[in-house]
Amino acid sequence: MDVNAAKMLAIGLVMGLGALGPGIGIGILGYGAMQGLARNPEARGPIMTNMLIAIAMAEAVAIYALVVAILLGFVFK
Amino acid sequence: MTKRKIFGLPFPVIAALLGVLAALFIIGLLAGPIGRGLLEQFGIKITFPSWLVVAQPAPELPSATLFKLFGLPVTNTVLAAWFTVIFLVVVSYLATRRMKLVPRRFQAAFEFIVGWIYDLCLSVAGEKNGRRFFPVVCTIFLYVAFNAWLSLIPGFGSVHIVNAEGQTAELFRGANTDINTPLAIALISFVFVEFYGLKSLSFSYLRKFFNFGRFFQGLGQLFKGKFDFMGMFSGVIEIVIGGLEALSELIRNISFTFRLFGNMTAGEILVLVAAFLVPLGVDWVVYGLELLIGFIQALVFSGLTLAFVTMAVVSHDAEAH
Repeated sequence: MDVNAAKMLAIGLVMGLGALGPGIGIGILGYGAMQGLARNPEARGPIMTNMLIAIAMAEAVAIYALVVAILLGFVFK
Repeated sequence: MTKRKIFGLPFPVIAALLGVLAALFIIGLLAGPIGRGLLEQFGIKITFPSWLVVAQPAPELPSATLFKLFGLPVTNTVLAAWFTVIFLVVVSYLATRRMKLVPRRFQAAFEFIVGWIYDLCLSVAGEKNGRRFFPVVCTIFLYVAFNAWLSLIPGFGSVHIVNAEGQTAELFRGANTDINTPLAIALISFVFVEFYGLKSLSFSYLRKFFNFGRFFQGLGQLFKGKFDFMGMFSGVIEIVIGGLEALSELIRNISFTFRLFGNMTAGEILVLVAAFLVPLGVDWVVYGLELLIGFIQALVFSGLTLAFVTMAVVSHDAEAH
């Protein structure tokens, strides 16, 4: 397999597999937030704020994978 | 029959709006590279007007140096950061020039933003600490948020100038897309956390990281003739945990940097690619997403800094172990 083909494969795999975990994690966070909101609609403010912070933490892991993919694609010729 | 209203507008208006959006999407799809490839297969040749054809984006990760000032290179992201700073200073000055007790619109809008961040500080850190941590947290929030939002103004990346080496580069580029800005803010937040930790607890703050007490206690039992294996074992575990805590403090800088850098750079590339693929139809949706992402990343950065500094000033003995 020549270098370019391996590079393309690597870029695709990095982003694809790297988005798997955070996707599931964000779904679980949304589930928890929905449950909390359904039980106690008055606590909407704190629930939404904390959910956003937790989602951004989970998103960060996907962004690490994206940074590796961009690095492979644009920086390593 | 009662008239149905969706989003406050009567039904025919919504239908017309959806029709316009669908038409824009189809025109955009046809004018972009997907549509042009499709039309070529059918043999139809349409020349689109030049304002509908977008060149292929070539994003470059390192930002281009525009000129040198006192020997230091000034890149287009540095210019954008200066623009943000000047914007914030001018807006703050204009909002607080003739402050009244019952504020008018401009001052009230600014008070809303600052008051919201202040309430966030108070709710996370408590009354006394919230007031102490508010300046740095608010500065981080406003700087990151306005760096992200001001880079979305139309024309921000479109003006090109030629720099000293003859390369054409954009005049302004969003400051968060250069890795130096998130790194700088992350280091400032690290120093902020350590400073307040050391100031509140003086040097016993370092006991969180170098926790030799339990181990030496167990070792001392050896001299009394009792072989306190459990004590020494849990002492060793506590030393390892302390080392991991120190490591995680340092790793947090990297995580802060790459979270902000990755989000902003990916957003910039996404806007360029969306404008290239479907010129008129989809790029305003991506624009809206970018507005939201700028706000969320600012909230996360300042909120996490606030959470870490709150954890740092809590006395170590007060935590239940």
